[in-house]
Amino acid sequence: MFRRNRYRRERILLPHEREGRRSFLKYGLAGAALLAVGGGTWLGTRRTASSPVLPGPFAALSPEEATIFLSLSERLLPPRPGFPSPLDVDLPRRIDGLLALMDDEARKEVRQLVRLFENALAGLLLDGQWKTFTASTAEQQDARIRAWQQSRYRVRRTGYRALKKIVYSSYYGARETWAAIGYPGPPPIGAPIDRSERFVPGTITEGGLPGPLGAPPPSPEVKP
Amino acid sequence: MSDGPGRIVDAGSLRKDVDDRPDVCVVGSGAGGAVVAARLAARGLRVTLLEEGGHFPPDQLKMDETWAYPNLYQERGMRATADLAVTLLQGRAVGGGTLVNWTTSFRTPPRVLRHWAQAFGVTGLDEQALEPHFAAVERRLGIQPWPIEAANENNRVLWDGAGKLGWNREVTRRNVTGCQSLGYCGTGCPIGAKNSTDLTYVADAVASGAKVFARARVQRIEKSGRRIVAVHAVGLDPAFRPTSRKVVVRPRLVVLSAGAVGTPEILLRSGYDPNGKVGQRTFLHPVVASLGTFSRPIRPFYGAPQSVACHHFSDRGSGKVSFFLEAAPGHPVLAATSLGGFGAEHQEQMTQLGNSSALIALAVDGFLPEEKGGSVSLRGDGRIRLDYEIRPEVWEALREGNKALARVQLAAGAEVVRSFHESPVVMRREADVALLDRAPWEPLRVSVFSAHAMGGCPMGRDPEKSVVDSRLKVHWLDNVWVVDGSVFPTSLGVNPMETILGLAHWASDHIASAT
Repeated sequence: MFRRNRYRRERILLPHEREGRRSFLKYGLAGAALLAVGGGTWLGTRRTASSPVLPGPFAALSPEEATIFLSLSERLLPPRPGFPSPLDVDLPRRIDGLLALMDDEARKEVRQLVRLFENALAGLLLDGQWKTFTASTAEQQDARIRAWQQSRYRVRRTGYRALKKIVYSSYYGARETWAAIGYPGPPPIGAPIDRSERFVPGTITEGGLPGPLGAPPPSPEVKP
Repeated sequence: MSDGPGRIVDAGSLRKDVDDRPDVCVVGSGAGGAVVAARLAARGLRVTLLEEGGHFPPDQLKMDETWAYPNLYQERGMRATADLAVTLLQGRAVGGGTLVNWTTSFRTPPRVLRHWAQAFGVTGLDEQALEPHFAAVERRLGIQPWPIEAANENNRVLWDGAGKLGWNREVTRRNVTGCQSLGYCGTGCPIGAKNSTDLTYVADAVASGAKVFARARVQRIEKSGRRIVAVHAVGLDPAFRPTSRKVVVRPRLVVLSAGAVGTPEILLRSGYDPNGKVGQRTFLHPVVASLGTFSRPIRPFYGAPQSVACHHFSDRGSGKVSFFLEAAPGHPVLAATSLGGFGAEHQEQMTQLGNSSALIALAVDGFLPEEKGGSVSLRGDGRIRLDYEIRPEVWEALREGNKALARVQLAAGAEVVRSFHESPVVMRREADVALLDRAPWEPLRVSVFSAHAMGGCPMGRDPEKSVVDSRLKVHWLDNVWVVDGSVFPTSLGVNPMETILGLAHWASDHIASAT
C-alpha cells in the first residue's frame, strides 16, 4: 500500500493507527513502551475517577475520557478574568459533539490518545511522573502537557497537537468566550445580492430558472 | 441534446437508486469540474455532475466557524497530514473550494508554464493558449482588482509594511460582485456576493440541462479495457455517512475533478495506478503565519480577508525555495487552533485578537529538481492519508518568509510580533527578527498550514513519470480526463483557483472534441 513513499521509514502516526505500529517501533524502546501501555493494558491499578460535576451521558466519550478532557481543558484554559471556565461553556459536551462527527476510526484514535495521555505508566516511563494526569497537581499537569508539546518524539507532539486543537476549537467556538477575546461576532448583513439580474441563481429546482444568463458587471461595488 | 434545465438533487435523500447514462460524468463541482460541466453541457452534451459535498445556497450559509468547518470542509475541517504537522483547509460542497476560499484570483505565472514545458515535457500550454480562457473565466466570475481603499486593516498592514520596506506589493483581484466586506468568505458568503462556481458555472451547467447529484460520494470507477464504463457513487446523509442509495453513472467520458486529494483517492480506490505515480508529487504551498499586535484595532475578522499580496520574494535564485506574502482572516477558531503555546500564554495572544494582524508566508514548493513532494495513499482501514515531509529548503523558505512577515508588521507599526511556534518567538523591534533564526523549524514545533493542495496526478509527457498528458487525459485510459489542481506537476506561486478555472475552460475544448 505504501510501496513508493520514500519517507516511509520516518513516517509517524497517531498511536494505534493500524499500520502504524511498525513505524512506531522504529523509535526504539520508549516508543515501544508507549505503544504497549496504550494498547489496552490500561494500567489497571491507576484508574480515572469520573468527575462528579460532569453532565453526562456522552455520545462519543466514556465518563472517564470526558473527565480527562475536562482536566486537560482546565490547564489549557486556566482561570483568567473574563474567560468563562471550561465547564461554564459545557466544554466536555462540546468536545463530545466534535468527536461524534468524526469517522469511527478517527474517533477511536482520539479516545486512545486521551487515555494514553492520562496513563500513569506512560508518564512514569517518559516523564518520571507516576500519577495519572487527572490525579496530578496543576504544576504536574502543566509539566505533562509540556513534555508532550516539546517531546523529541514527533508522535507525542502529534498527540499534543490533536488534543490542543480539539480543546481550543471546541472552546472558542462557544459564543460565551468571544467577549474575552474582543470578537464581536458576525456583523449585520445588508440586503442579499440580487443575482437574478446577472446570474442564474444557485438554487435550481424543477421549476426552472427565473433569470437570463449574462456577464457580470465590469467592476465590484466597493464599500470602503 | 438535452431538453430544458437540469437540476440539483440531494443523492442522500433519493427515494430509489439511480442508473444514469449521460454523455459525460464529471466528478467534483469546484473550480475544475463546474467549468467543464458547464461548457460541455452548453454544447448540448448530456452531463451528470457528482459532488460529495452538500448544496448550500447563500441564505443557508452562516458566518459561524463551528457550523462551516464540519459542513463545508473536507474531513469536517480536520484534514491534515498524517502526523498533523500540516493542517489542510479544503472545501467540500457544491462549488468545492470556491465556496469557502478567500477569493484571490491570479492567472498562472508564465514562468511556471515554461517550467512545466521544460521539466515535464508539457506541450501546448502557454500564456497565449490560456489567455482567452482566463479572459472568459474572469468575465464569468467578475474577477476584478480590489482597490486598496477597500482593503481591511489587516491587508493594509501588509500594504503599508511592504511599502515602507520598498518591496513589490499589489492589490489582488477577487471574484466578487457587490461584496459588503463582511469578512466571512471562509465560511461561505451569506449574501451570494462571491461568484463561486455553485452560483456561476454549476448554475450554467444546470441551465443547459446538466444533472447534479450533491452528497454523492464516488467510491470507485469501473474499467473495461482502456475505458471507464461506470462511475459508482453512494448517497450521503447530512452527516456525510453513506446511505443505502446508489448512483451509478455509465457515461461515454469521465472527467475527474475531485481535487488534489480526492482525484488520486478515486483512482487508488479503483486500483488504477499502473506506474505508481497516482497520489505522488503532492504540493501544498506550506504556510507559516505571523501575529502582529498593534495599539489600535485591526479587526482581522472583518473585511475582505485577502486583497493584498507581496511577490517580492518570488525568485530567490537557484537552489532556493521562493515564497509570497498574503493576509489571513482572524476568526476565533482558526486563530485559536493555530497560535502557539497553551495556557496563559495562549490566552494572552487570544485577548489581542482584535488588535492583531494575521499575515501568512506561502512557500512555493515543487520547483527544485530533487523535490518529490508529498503523497496521497490509502490506509489499511480505507481512509485516505496525506503525507508531506517538509524539506530543509522549504523550512528555509518558511523561516525567511516568517522573518519577512515580522518585518512587514513591525514596519507597519506593530508593537509586538509573535511567531506561531509552540514557544512563540516574540519580536518588538527589527533587531529581534534574527531570533527567528534560532527558533526550531521542525514538524509540530511551529504551526504550518495549507489551503492549496496541488498535484497527485501530475501532467507530463512521459507515461512512466506522470498520470495525465498535456491535454489532461489519463495516459493509460482512453476516456478519462483529470481537470483540477491535481494535474499541476509543481505548485504555482500564486493562489490556484484561477489556474484551475482557466485550465478547465481550455481543456473543455479538447474533451468536447473527443466526444
